[in-house]
Amino acid sequence: MTKPLTKIIVIDDSKTSISLYKLSIEPLDVELVTFESPRAALQYLGDGDASLIFLDILMQDMDGLTMLKQLRELDHHSETQVIMATSKDYAQDRNKAKELGAIDFLVKPIRSQEIREVIRKYTDAPDKQAGPGG
Amino acid sequence: MTGRYFQFWGVRGSYPAPFESHLKTGGNTSCVEIRSGNDLVICDAGTGIVPLGNILAKHEDIREATVLLTHYHWDHISGLPFFLPAFAPGWKLHFFGPGGNARDIEDNLAEQMRAPYFPVETETWLANIDYLDPTQRARFDVGDINIEHFNVHHPGSTFGYRISVNGKVVVYASDNELSFLAHFIEKRKMEFDEAERRLLEDMQNEQNQKALDFMRGVDYLIHDAQYTKEDYAEKRGWGHSYYLDAVRAADEAGVKHLFLFHIDPNYDDNAVDVLRNTAKAFLADRGSKTQCHVAVEGNRIDLG
Repeated sequence: MTKPLTKIIVIDDSKTSISLYKLSIEPLDVELVTFESPRAALQYLGDGDASLIFLDILMQDMDGLTMLKQLRELDHHSETQVIMATSKDYAQDRNKAKELGAIDFLVKPIRSQEIREVIRKYTDAPDKQAGPGG
Repeated sequence: MTGRYFQFWGVRGSYPAPFESHLKTGGNTSCVEIRSGNDLVICDAGTGIVPLGNILAKHEDIREATVLLTHYHWDHISGLPFFLPAFAPGWKLHFFGPGGNARDIEDNLAEQMRAPYFPVETETWLANIDYLDPTQRARFDVGDINIEHFNVHHPGSTFGYRISVNGKVVVYASDNELSFLAHFIEKRKMEFDEAERRLLEDMQNEQNQKALDFMRGVDYLIHDAQYTKEDYAEKRGWGHSYYLDAVRAADEAGVKHLFLFHIDPNYDDNAVDVLRNTAKAFLADRGSKTQCHVAVEGNRIDLG
């Protein structure tokens, strides 16, 4: 039986941020699921699981801190690894995120390499195997 | 107090400025009244809500108000412990603001009225109070006043409001730091490789457009304009805007009237005159149709 892929969830209402995550995660052998809407993400996570979640804060559907609070109320996500990834580099946001159990706080703009580093730090996601001649 | 209008009761940010040198602009912290007949909405409960409450308490036809809080920093709630309608039986007050549920709003407001900070608690309020769950209301009405909220760039969860009255749109964004991400993209650009830099440029354009979304084409924008360029350079990351960033954004968004709001309490009336004149000259240079005003305590703007 093959081991399921590490599942990375990204919740960010910026299309270009989502593109950056896709570019960053390309070399890793992981499953990437993205949401521009926190409400849609909450609905998915109601049944779904996640190895690691990247969560923006300033979004219009619902802000990331409010979403994180609601996520923690789901039994199976009370300890899911969540990393805030935001331009809101304010102490109050950092403290609130920590209080809600976020394990890291990345400040935009974020480099592809930083994204891969934190994925490797918090999961056992392997690199993709090089193809023939690669 | 009839008709449709909005009126500034408090225009300062951070803390009150009750100094003679500041009173042409006004000394109270954030509070704006929006009225359509006897339908009453109050944006924020800074110290400006105290004189408003004193007048409302004597008003015979109004016994209900909806208070829209942008967030719970002191300059936006510190008038509430002295807001007479809250202590008066027969009044009905609805509170709306950021939070995960209605209880969060109640807890945040109760916190400032506890020993040892204040002699009486919110339990002494005699008005009929209810707290409106923000997660259940993307949009709601108070009589013929329509209200929507959106999230803004300020420490913690903070709302701005888009309020429609009689076909006119008023946007209230008292605390919003514009250009925050753009600055950091510019500062760190060289750390990124070429593919990332292309994405960063797209990201910067996308963010600039998103920042304008809530103000696009509105009739009246009441916006954070707390700092001069020099002060903003020292206070970047405090959650407030350089005033010309607000002016530029209003112009780009096609706002009809911009009100510079949440004025720093260190700026006296002469300093505020400089902000006003510089903003007007800035807009004139751009050939802008946006009219810029300073929010002045006591000023009432007719909404038809």
